[in-house]
Amino acid sequence: MTKTNQNARTAILFILPALLLILSFVFLPIVLNLFYSLYRWNAFEAGRVFVGLEYYIRLFKDPIFYTALKNNFLFAVISLMFQVGGGLIIAAILEDKLIRKFQPFFRTVIFMPSVVSIVVVGLLWQLIYNPEIGLVNGALHAIGQSDWAHSWLGDSKTAIYAVVAVSQWQYTGYMTMLFLIAMQKIPAEYYEAAMMDGASRIKTFFSITVPQIKEMILVGTVVTVIGAFKVFDEVYIMTFGGPGRSTEVLGTMLYRAAFRNDEMGYASTIGTMIFLITLTLSLIQLKLGKSGQEV
Amino acid sequence: MRLKTKVLVVVTLIFGLLITGCTSATGGENSSDKIELKFLHKWPQPQYAPYFEDVVKEFEKQNPNIKINMEAIADEPMKDKLRVVLGGNDVPDIMFSWSGEFAKKFVRAGAALDLTSYLNEDTAWKNSFIPASLQPFSSDGKNYGIPLRFNGKFFVYNKDIFDKYQLKEPKNFDEFLQVLETLKQGGETPIILGNQGPWAAIHYLTGLNQKMVPNDVRLKDYNPRTGEFTDPGYIKAMEMLRDLNKEGYFMENVNASSHDMALQLFFAGKGAIFYVELEEFPDIEKNLKGNWDFFAMPPIKEGKGNQNFITGAPDGFIVSSKTEHPKEAIAFLKFLTSKENAVKLAEQLGWPSPIDGATNPDTALKQVVEGVDMMKEAEGMVEWLDTDVHAKVAGVYLTNIQLLLDGTKSPEEIMKEVQDVAKQVQMD
Repeated sequence: MTKTNQNARTAILFILPALLLILSFVFLPIVLNLFYSLYRWNAFEAGRVFVGLEYYIRLFKDPIFYTALKNNFLFAVISLMFQVGGGLIIAAILEDKLIRKFQPFFRTVIFMPSVVSIVVVGLLWQLIYNPEIGLVNGALHAIGQSDWAHSWLGDSKTAIYAVVAVSQWQYTGYMTMLFLIAMQKIPAEYYEAAMMDGASRIKTFFSITVPQIKEMILVGTVVTVIGAFKVFDEVYIMTFGGPGRSTEVLGTMLYRAAFRNDEMGYASTIGTMIFLITLTLSLIQLKLGKSGQEV
Repeated sequence: MRLKTKVLVVVTLIFGLLITGCTSATGGENSSDKIELKFLHKWPQPQYAPYFEDVVKEFEKQNPNIKINMEAIADEPMKDKLRVVLGGNDVPDIMFSWSGEFAKKFVRAGAALDLTSYLNEDTAWKNSFIPASLQPFSSDGKNYGIPLRFNGKFFVYNKDIFDKYQLKEPKNFDEFLQVLETLKQGGETPIILGNQGPWAAIHYLTGLNQKMVPNDVRLKDYNPRTGEFTDPGYIKAMEMLRDLNKEGYFMENVNASSHDMALQLFFAGKGAIFYVELEEFPDIEKNLKGNWDFFAMPPIKEGKGNQNFITGAPDGFIVSSKTEHPKEAIAFLKFLTSKENAVKLAEQLGWPSPIDGATNPDTALKQVVEGVDMMKEAEGMVEWLDTDVHAKVAGVYLTNIQLLLDGTKSPEEIMKEVQDVAKQVQMD
């Protein structure tokens, strides 16, 4: 028995507990979920009926599925714009020499929302959006734009944007923080050299800052996009998919199927779809990430 | 070889750990000879919970061999909790349930214990209930639930505002509409409604459906096995509800306000009429101090249903079919619904009790007593639409009612969806 062999064995032994836990709590449920999606069953009734791919066919015919997909997609696109794009810009501004001494203050203020519990945030924004006593309409009346006052969460056309906006309010600060940390690792000499060459601030941002923190941007993008397809709490608390089903996302659709309509099989089918979507997105991101390292 | 044994040892250890982790909860039960009952109810709020704590304490004192493990979960999460908990191995012996279809689906799944024999054994107990309160908890002539409260839905109105316009309680729906029109002309908000949780408007539709659709047709449709929902009365009922909003009789932005927020508006005198449950009467008295009264949904002339029904339903408890101690569970339910505790329920919580005579002028608010009397005199009760039809049909009603009010969908479109789902449910 060679030394390396023994080391490898010891290593395997050390990994084993974690591996087993992941197998039994992550991979097994995924496989089981796939299996359950082929049956009609509910949580409180014994026995299940095999229905094959019936639920998958139904899912693709279900107009709510496309509403949910569209809403998740909206979440992803808007979150990319505000959390990744906006976060990046805010971080760059905060890192600027002129404003750096106030940075701790702004950093704290911007970061604050992301440490508040989502339930609190949801209820808080419900009040802010309230058409009668809410802050938003109050502000609009105050600046003389009463025409714009609106029942933000109560109108099926605006509700989803209102919910997405809360998400931006809450998490942009978090992304900003990540970018700030990454930016602080960039050597100051780069900027000094660029300044001497007469580069403008915007030029240095695109030529130095962005390439230097590319990895972090990638991580942020992955987290944001996957998060957008797993979103649940914000919608559940603020609208529960309503008015009508206009703000339904995949997460709430799954929840409704499982715990309101007693269709666990259909819920499993939706679960499988969420898994496939996030898996595909992760693989794409991973692929992009790798090409990034090679360059 | 050595590696294999090592792996084996580690695997065994981990599984041992997992298994002990999973079973430790049940290990403790056998250590004492006490019978343990798990009791799940839905009133964790500080103003209600003490009542249940007291009852449990008293019961344990009288029955030293029984220990009650009480758990309380709020209204909305209860809907999920019951579904999940009933599928597991740790089912509460006694648990809260709404009556009607909500309980019936557990009955169909064989999860609820048949209580008929226990009730028939003790006729004094059975006869202590107002009959209309036991009926919604029965299925095929068998009883599956014991009611704790007997709830009805009524229009309460602000007397100041009614007096200002010299209005009287409407005797029929046309008069009701006239009252609303007068209020609107006077610049008042006729009806307060918070429909962010769409059950609020569904309660209107519960009564309207019942009054517009012939009783036998409605009962056939509400049964998941035979539901078709093709009677034109359903569309008429929805049109009436929509028109209340279209005519501006409801407050603005009904879909953006929660019921609780709406309640605050009513207390502040911002509207004349509010559709509430009997259990909310004590709260209204607290805030409006005698300056209010109530009436039931008025009869509709052209309606094909029985006009002498009242919207409302009991809620209470079912016993798990998996319970190992049915006798003790029944004993506890008997104790909970004893006259003494029913009187306490009426006095302490202000809730209408299904025990005949427990809600009387000595124990409860005048209006609550009148409400219970109206329910006793009514020819029948109609249970909440969202718990009385199959969950999937209820889902279609619930999600569409907001769109009906904001004008996005027409009654015909919604009923088409209801019919489609009813068909799907029949085939399941």
